[in-house]
Amino acid sequence: MAERTETAVGRWEWFDATLVSFCLAAFGLTSVAALVQVRFGTYPLTFWEAWRSVFDPAVWTQPNVLATFFLGERAAGALGFSTEYDLTTATTIVWNIRLPRVFTAALVGLSLSISGTIFQAITRNELASPFILGVSSGAGFAVLVTLVLIPSFGFLLPLTAAVGGTVAFLLVYAIAWQGGTSPVRLVLAGVIVGTVLNSLQTALYFFATDLGTVQQAISWTTGSLTGADWAQFRIILPFVLLIVIPGTVLGARQLNVLLLGESTASALGMRVERMRFALSVIGIVAASAAVAVAGVVSFVGLVVPHVVRTVVGSDHKRLLVGCAFAGPALLVVADTGARLFLPVVTGSPTQLPVGVVTGIIGGPYFLYLMRRRQQLGEL
Amino acid sequence: MSPAVTGDDLAVGYPTTDDPIVECENVILPDGEITALVGPNGSGKSTLLKALSGQLEPWAGEVHLGDDDVYAMDKKPLARRLALLSQDGDLPGSLSVRELVQHGRHPYRGFLEPLSEPDHAAVDEALELTGTDDFADDGVGNLSGGQRQLARIAMTLAQEPDVLLLDEPTTFLDLRHQLGVLDAVRALNDERGVTVGIVLHDIAQAARYADNLIALRDGVPYDWGPPAEVVTEQLLADVFGVDATVRAGPEIVPHQPL
Repeated sequence: MAERTETAVGRWEWFDATLVSFCLAAFGLTSVAALVQVRFGTYPLTFWEAWRSVFDPAVWTQPNVLATFFLGERAAGALGFSTEYDLTTATTIVWNIRLPRVFTAALVGLSLSISGTIFQAITRNELASPFILGVSSGAGFAVLVTLVLIPSFGFLLPLTAAVGGTVAFLLVYAIAWQGGTSPVRLVLAGVIVGTVLNSLQTALYFFATDLGTVQQAISWTTGSLTGADWAQFRIILPFVLLIVIPGTVLGARQLNVLLLGESTASALGMRVERMRFALSVIGIVAASAAVAVAGVVSFVGLVVPHVVRTVVGSDHKRLLVGCAFAGPALLVVADTGARLFLPVVTGSPTQLPVGVVTGIIGGPYFLYLMRRRQQLGEL
Repeated sequence: MSPAVTGDDLAVGYPTTDDPIVECENVILPDGEITALVGPNGSGKSTLLKALSGQLEPWAGEVHLGDDDVYAMDKKPLARRLALLSQDGDLPGSLSVRELVQHGRHPYRGFLEPLSEPDHAAVDEALELTGTDDFADDGVGNLSGGQRQLARIAMTLAQEPDVLLLDEPTTFLDLRHQLGVLDAVRALNDERGVTVGIVLHDIAQAARYADNLIALRDGVPYDWGPPAEVVTEQLLADVFGVDATVRAGPEIVPHQPL
């Protein structure tokens, strides 16, 4: 019974060396990409200057400066923080423009990969994504409706995108429901709703009157972080802190039990339908929060859980922690590429939507998997 | 002995069927005994087991565990007293046997509760009793079908149930592992006094391992009782459509389909 004492030692046994090194590697990658992202731009900095600005004591030692960035001027002021302060130009640029985009990218990556993990478990399909149950098509359709039919409400885009995604998900659930759901019926219902909404979305492009509207619509439907700043960060942060992370902590073992199969989970005393819906809601909140700030960034929620699973296994405690580090890594790296590739290579100021880069990274990854593994798709 | 599980005036079907699959007035799993549900394919034996396990609410009738209505109980308290080995196939390959068996403690745990000392004790005992402790740290993906089935039985055992229901636990296993699984079930019954309800394909095996047989034909019980009384040439002809000779034991010598 040597294992007895070992397993009884503590509840953190699963947080082993493999997982720790994986998370450290992902964090290192995120940091390097973040530093590159912060260094380059129209106001040139050296790496040393970028480093110094990120860790500028004028920011870190003054709670009122941090509060103003993270909470916004109004909230910080309301809490009694002074929103008047002096920072160097470099620090101002790094903290006002470049870092918030990195932070936002990290949270989008985290949300999407956690959402993907949840939906892969719920549908028992490792090729599922956060968008499999209609979120992307619902959000895309809502964006098009807003931009084309009610352009004066353009400022509501984050809200309409998230609501569109959520409504589409509820519609998928309603279609799949037949005295209960099943993974296969959910996926099929997702395809049904997705197909119809995508057609409607394409139809709406015909009614777009100017190129600007079309470009804005495309950047929403492919996912972009261009122009993301503290406002976007403040939209997604509460969802991550209040719903995604607590939901993940509570749901990890439930996902493991669900993965044993529906009848087994039910025989172990789980209310499968209720749990599946609750977990889906967490996944949808995560996906919708990401959509609200970055649009529909594809492949992150598909690739990241997959990569993490091959390294740390299918235990959801490990998987979700791994995703919380690997998701930000992929998205921060991809967004650095999206922002800097064209300016550095061609000198043009155009930025790519980050969804284009994640797609370019994600496609070949699956080609590689297809060549290497016989069985693809089974959890 | 008082019956552990009883079903009364049952009509059981699925949402997609027009008529009930199983209709039976009275079905009993006697306390501390092994009862096998036998019948040809499509006779409704798995459906009846699901209804008895609390997983498929009957269209009519009631199922009782002791004195409690199974469908009025909360699911976790039910899972502490009644375990079901379903026909769910796939398990995540990297899941270790021990982790699988630990899931058997799910009905005892709250959302964030870690495994307690009694939980670990129950898991260890389940591993030992099923002989799966030898490969407790292997991933279930690396096990043979028979070993995997034993690991799943160990999981149900970690639930520390009074009643264990098994839905065709020997299907797809080779003969050696079929006997291994049935021996483990027999041992559970002998050593723990667990009441067992088991769906079996093979009536000869059922006759050998079970204390009682319930023979189903077209969703209706044809006969039930100790194997020596139930297994007759008449039953084999009527229920299974087989011309066979039954010798003392009872031992079945099949000749040809009818």
